[in-house]
Amino acid sequence: MTSYITTRSLLTRLRRNAGLASLATAALFAVPMGGCSPDELLSVTDPDLINPQDVQSAAGANAVRIGALNRLNIATSGGESLLLLGGLFTDEWINGDSFIARQQIDRRIIPPENDFLLTANRALHRARVSARQAIDLMTEFTPTAPRWQVAEMHFIQAYVVNIMAEHYCDGLIFSDVEDDGTPVYGSPITTAAAHERALGHANTGLALLDSVATTDTAGVRVRNALRVLKGRILNNQATSTDASKRTQAAAAVALVATTFRYEEQHSQTTNSNQFWNLNNNARRYSVGSSEGGNGLNFATANDPRVPVCLGGDATCRAIGVTLATRDDGTIPVIVQRIWPARESRVAILTGIEARLLEAEALLPANPAGSLVILNTLRLTVTGLAPLADAGTPAARIDQLFRERAFWLFGRGTRTGDLRRLIRQYGRTEDAVFPTGEWHKGGPYGDDVNMPVPQAEQNNPNVTPGQVCINRNA
Amino acid sequence: MDLRYVLRSLVLAALVAPAAAAQAQQGTVAGRVTDASSGQPVGGALVNIAGTALGTHTNAEGQFTIRGLTAGTVVVRSLRVGYAEQRQTVTVTAGQTTTADFQMRAMAVMLSPVVTTATGDQRRVEVGNSIAQINAADIVKQSAVSTMGDLLTAKAAGVMVIPGTQTGAGIRIRVRGTSSMSLTNNPIYIIDGIRVEGATGSSTVSVGGTTPSRVGDLNPEEIETIEVVRGPSAATLYGTDAANGVIVITTKKGIAGKTQWTYYTEQTAIRDQNDYPTAFRGWRTGATGTTNSTASNAVQCFLFQVATNTCQQDSVTSYNLFKDSEATPFGTGYRQQHGLQLRGGTEQVRFFLHGEWENEDGVTKVPEFEKAYLAARPFRTPLSGSQSNPNELTRITGRANLNVALADNLDVAVTAGYTSQDLSLPRSDDSGTAGIAANVMGGPGFKYNLNAAGDTLYGWREFTPRDVYQAETLQGIERLITSASSNWRPMDWLSVRGNFGVDYIGRTDTQLCRFGNCTSTTDREGFKIDNRSSFFVYTVDAGATASRDLTERIGSETTVGLQYYRNVFNRNGAQSEKLAPGAVSVSAGSVQRGEELTSESRTLGAFIEERLSMSDKLFITAAVRSDRNSAFGRDFKTVFYPKLAVSWVVSEESFFSAPGWLNQLRLRTAYGASGVQPGTTDAVPAYSPTIALGEGAEMPGVVFSAVGNKALKPERSAELEAGIDGTFWDNRISTELTYYNKHSKDALVSKIIAPSVGAAASRFENVGEVRNWGWEAMVDAQVIQRESFGWNININGSMNSNELINLGDTLPIVSSSTLRQVEGYPLNGWWARRLVDFDDRDGDGIIEYNADSTLSEITVSARPQYQGYSAPRNEVALSNAFDFWKSRFRLAAMVDYKGGHKVYNNTERIRCASRNNCAGLVNPNASLYDQARTVMVRQHPSASAAGFFESADFIRLREMSLSFNAPDDWAGRVFRGRSLTATLAARNLGILWTKFSGVDPEAFATTGDAPSSFQAFAPPTYYTFRLTLGF
Repeated sequence: MTSYITTRSLLTRLRRNAGLASLATAALFAVPMGGCSPDELLSVTDPDLINPQDVQSAAGANAVRIGALNRLNIATSGGESLLLLGGLFTDEWINGDSFIARQQIDRRIIPPENDFLLTANRALHRARVSARQAIDLMTEFTPTAPRWQVAEMHFIQAYVVNIMAEHYCDGLIFSDVEDDGTPVYGSPITTAAAHERALGHANTGLALLDSVATTDTAGVRVRNALRVLKGRILNNQATSTDASKRTQAAAAVALVATTFRYEEQHSQTTNSNQFWNLNNNARRYSVGSSEGGNGLNFATANDPRVPVCLGGDATCRAIGVTLATRDDGTIPVIVQRIWPARESRVAILTGIEARLLEAEALLPANPAGSLVILNTLRLTVTGLAPLADAGTPAARIDQLFRERAFWLFGRGTRTGDLRRLIRQYGRTEDAVFPTGEWHKGGPYGDDVNMPVPQAEQNNPNVTPGQVCINRNA
Repeated sequence: MDLRYVLRSLVLAALVAPAAAAQAQQGTVAGRVTDASSGQPVGGALVNIAGTALGTHTNAEGQFTIRGLTAGTVVVRSLRVGYAEQRQTVTVTAGQTTTADFQMRAMAVMLSPVVTTATGDQRRVEVGNSIAQINAADIVKQSAVSTMGDLLTAKAAGVMVIPGTQTGAGIRIRVRGTSSMSLTNNPIYIIDGIRVEGATGSSTVSVGGTTPSRVGDLNPEEIETIEVVRGPSAATLYGTDAANGVIVITTKKGIAGKTQWTYYTEQTAIRDQNDYPTAFRGWRTGATGTTNSTASNAVQCFLFQVATNTCQQDSVTSYNLFKDSEATPFGTGYRQQHGLQLRGGTEQVRFFLHGEWENEDGVTKVPEFEKAYLAARPFRTPLSGSQSNPNELTRITGRANLNVALADNLDVAVTAGYTSQDLSLPRSDDSGTAGIAANVMGGPGFKYNLNAAGDTLYGWREFTPRDVYQAETLQGIERLITSASSNWRPMDWLSVRGNFGVDYIGRTDTQLCRFGNCTSTTDREGFKIDNRSSFFVYTVDAGATASRDLTERIGSETTVGLQYYRNVFNRNGAQSEKLAPGAVSVSAGSVQRGEELTSESRTLGAFIEERLSMSDKLFITAAVRSDRNSAFGRDFKTVFYPKLAVSWVVSEESFFSAPGWLNQLRLRTAYGASGVQPGTTDAVPAYSPTIALGEGAEMPGVVFSAVGNKALKPERSAELEAGIDGTFWDNRISTELTYYNKHSKDALVSKIIAPSVGAAASRFENVGEVRNWGWEAMVDAQVIQRESFGWNININGSMNSNELINLGDTLPIVSSSTLRQVEGYPLNGWWARRLVDFDDRDGDGIIEYNADSTLSEITVSARPQYQGYSAPRNEVALSNAFDFWKSRFRLAAMVDYKGGHKVYNNTERIRCASRNNCAGLVNPNASLYDQARTVMVRQHPSASAAGFFESADFIRLREMSLSFNAPDDWAGRVFRGRSLTATLAARNLGILWTKFSGVDPEAFATTGDAPSSFQAFAPPTYYTFRLTLGF
């Protein structure tokens, strides 16, 4: 038998059974929800989130450790960090774009509201706090993990605190956060106190690596990093009247091989090398050339330690920089070739810095010995002629700091060095920082360090309106 | 309120009702509604029985039948826009049909007597709020409406619409100002009773600013009416998320009667007729390459250098490539649209079917010089078709609406609307050096500039379309909005409704630079982005209304309702770089990345509302709604929103001695609250995944990324509204005047976390308080109404004031270098150090800065100061319509004003600060003010952009149209049709007056709360011919 239902007959049937249909309609909407409690109806799981309890394990501890390493990467060469901004602030880089925040830094007129500086500041603190979280979790869940892993977390803390002390005014703050998100606010401290704090972190890390075997590559790498960092911190602590810290610095780095490198790695799938990105690729930075009179001639020195090319020339085209102008349309864009690719590794600490610390420690009492160290380093680079004695103490200091500037270009030491020239060697601000007419018009400002970001005012331990304790070098 | 109790009540009502209904002895009222003067049937009129849940609409013949009436005396009402309300008292006899015919008297005013509320259709006079209504069907037919933005712009007081400026660009809508600092200020959208997605900035690939909004997916041709529920006092029952207003859209429905076929087409030419800025260049002669101006370098002599004798200007040239037919990126765009609609059915089954295809090719074209360049180089790969037309929209829409009367007391409606859309957008706006705008507005002030390869750029800054247009950005949309609803009236006093719907959007965003294409070195290695997203918005809505006359004078309606919303968003994104030659897929790249993103929110709400009417003059509504939401913190469970509204037709009172010219006077007031929900995961502390490269490989790690807030709750806005409405002079003039005062408490402040904490940058806290207050007014007047000539004027306007009352213990929020949130000032106010004074002291005609304040010719404030509102405060729209020859011809025009705010002319700022081509920097004939603001942003230590915040008041000729409705017999004679309408229309005919010196005070690319006018194109002009044929 053939059976079919026309629209009309269906309608008729429905009309006849209107009561039933009514019930069905009501049930359709009511039943699916009526069987659930409100809490069930509102229960949502977000797969994108990792809950704090998920890291309460050995694997979780290791994941937090790796997260801390990535945050260090972002806080150094994988982000627009103090390595770049500090170089912009001094003479390593000049601004090549239209962002006012970068121009403020290049021009040494930095308001605390500067958002580029805030981002860099936050990135450093995040690396520091992630390292602290990793230490706590590893202590609890992986007590048998290699000691260098915990020591490297102490290294991150020491590195962050030190580089902040090198760049910021007095008034640095180091806060923390509890697992449930509750902030634990710190209070403002001087840069001298921050250096002491950094030294404590470095010593704690080194203490974990007292007995590292020479075959323990990772352990040796972290220990060397801690040693160079400790030397740098001690060197920062020297004063114009007390150079003993420099001697201690030299001692701290004595066992570090010149070839040592603590590297940040980059790739397209993680973090790009930001020197390459912001200079070679985006052309928002250009290598400095005697900026503001006092600046060193990085761009024109033809020094193989800071190899450069002019955007669009044959050398630059060979590394992919085909355009001749900066982002703002001005010319030339001077392009560094130390890190010619997105993936180029950046050694944020090296054995070369160790030798430079030794040379600085030797300089007052044994300038010849200091020069030997400098020239020994220069021998490692083809095309670098040996230096002659500069002749006077002041000229020797200039010579040493110039060597440091070229060897350590871009590694975040330049601001600290210029401040040390003022603080430890009695130079004036106008003699070391760029001065006069800024290259885009208007005079330079007189900042010799960076202000604590305005956002830190949200810390209840900060006196309202107080950005820095003082702005001296 | 126990939600399960409400559910059980609804089910109980459903169970007992049929039995009760069977016991009643029922009768029927039927009749016909006609025009009193012409005798023609009036279709679509609402006929209902006062004090009951029973009602229906007339068919095309004006006929209606209402069954299921309890025997006795009833009042039958007939309501239709354009007619005065009519009532009849009739006696219903059990088992018989009582006749009630209406002859309705045409009324000049166009306000609909019925509005849509959260509990169903309601007479406007009963509602204590002012609800704006837009008669979309008429507007579409009589003017050039191609987008929802066209439909909404300047149509309703208090509803500010910033239209998009490129083909496919999104719109931004703000209702009664900006209330939220941290959450969306977008209104929510409801179509035929279900929530739909209306996000702005709906894209995952960047072209520099311009982004679509999902409201743009909707086709105005399918819409019957739009109602704007402006504030919390009216939106209470729409629940959490409704505090920013509700846009209620009703699509067209079938009308019982012979099937009506309607074909329409629009043919549109699009022109960009805006004045874009002229570039200047100061030439100098020097001894070296770094001091000598050439066609291939950027060496210039600026005014401040002239003043200090650093250089001399040999000459100053100027060039505006937009005015050069060889160099301009603009040509004539073309839009065409073809659609077919069917409406018809029987009393039992009515249908509306619609299908449309449209294509819009925007004004962005390949310049003539570029065509010549490419033609001369056959070895170079030419631009593809899509690359040559980088801004194009193609859309297919379809809709089927079915209304079925399953029984005398049971109606079911099923609706389905489908959109398939492909949009291509060029890199423009703030797309860095690769964007069109950066290149056409940043050029050097002369035509034949050269790049490093020796190619002439024709005044373009760095790149030309042969590279810029090679970036192909596409968005594909597949969208289905569907709903099923029922309305069951088991007894004449009880109505039960159910509504279920889903809005599904499948969105595919892609961006492709093929190997060897595009601008930058890295782009030319090739890359492909392919992000596929799904949006689901589910609505479950059920409610019941009981209507009773408590006494002879007092009627009562009690409504209970339950709503459940679920929003789900999923995205799978893939991206790869370094493509092989010829490759266009993600899998062909050597460096590949993927991402997965999910978010979901759920809301469960219930409400109860009681409406009392007293002698049909005084109406009191009280309601309360409670909501729970998955995004609330674990320590916060339920939010309650109360509502109280009163409407009083005072002119109906016996004590009111109305003059002859006054037809009706109504006083109304309403208080209500609503909210905005937090983001789906804002309450939760969490880690997020990351990848570190080291120790020999890429390693997975986690970082603590969100601190959460377990006490998080929704923002709560409470509003008091009061108004007076009147109709005058034989109903030829209608007026509305409304004052509102909206307080948003517990406003979510994205509280900055001190960076030293080393965690997230901010977290949401309910510590803010924002106030919006202002006036809205509307006057609609039929000034002349004769057979040969008619003149209608409509004016609507609004004024809004906004203040951030309280930020808790949070510091002023510095949102950017120019925007701040400061207590005592408007949200998103412009802030910068002020240009206090400027004076050409040395009389050399050049403003100079000197660090020595005694020598400086500009004075700048020591601290940032408030500069002004970033969004318009005041808005007025004036529409005039003239009818000729028995209303066969209608000439209409609309002029609108927006003002009370400032626009950040960021285009000029970057031209002066960085592009080095603005008059204030180069041209000795530039005004001293232009020079002063340039000196301030370039040379003064503040680098303040305050000089570029410009008063942005403007008057625009927004619309003009001439339409012709042919006599019916013409259509029959010409093509055996039913009707013929032809319309000539133009949209955005230009700015009539403004002080703004930039391109256009509505030239925004982004859709945020306070966008600057930054390298954005201005709105083009649309010239449209529309033909509508009825069969």
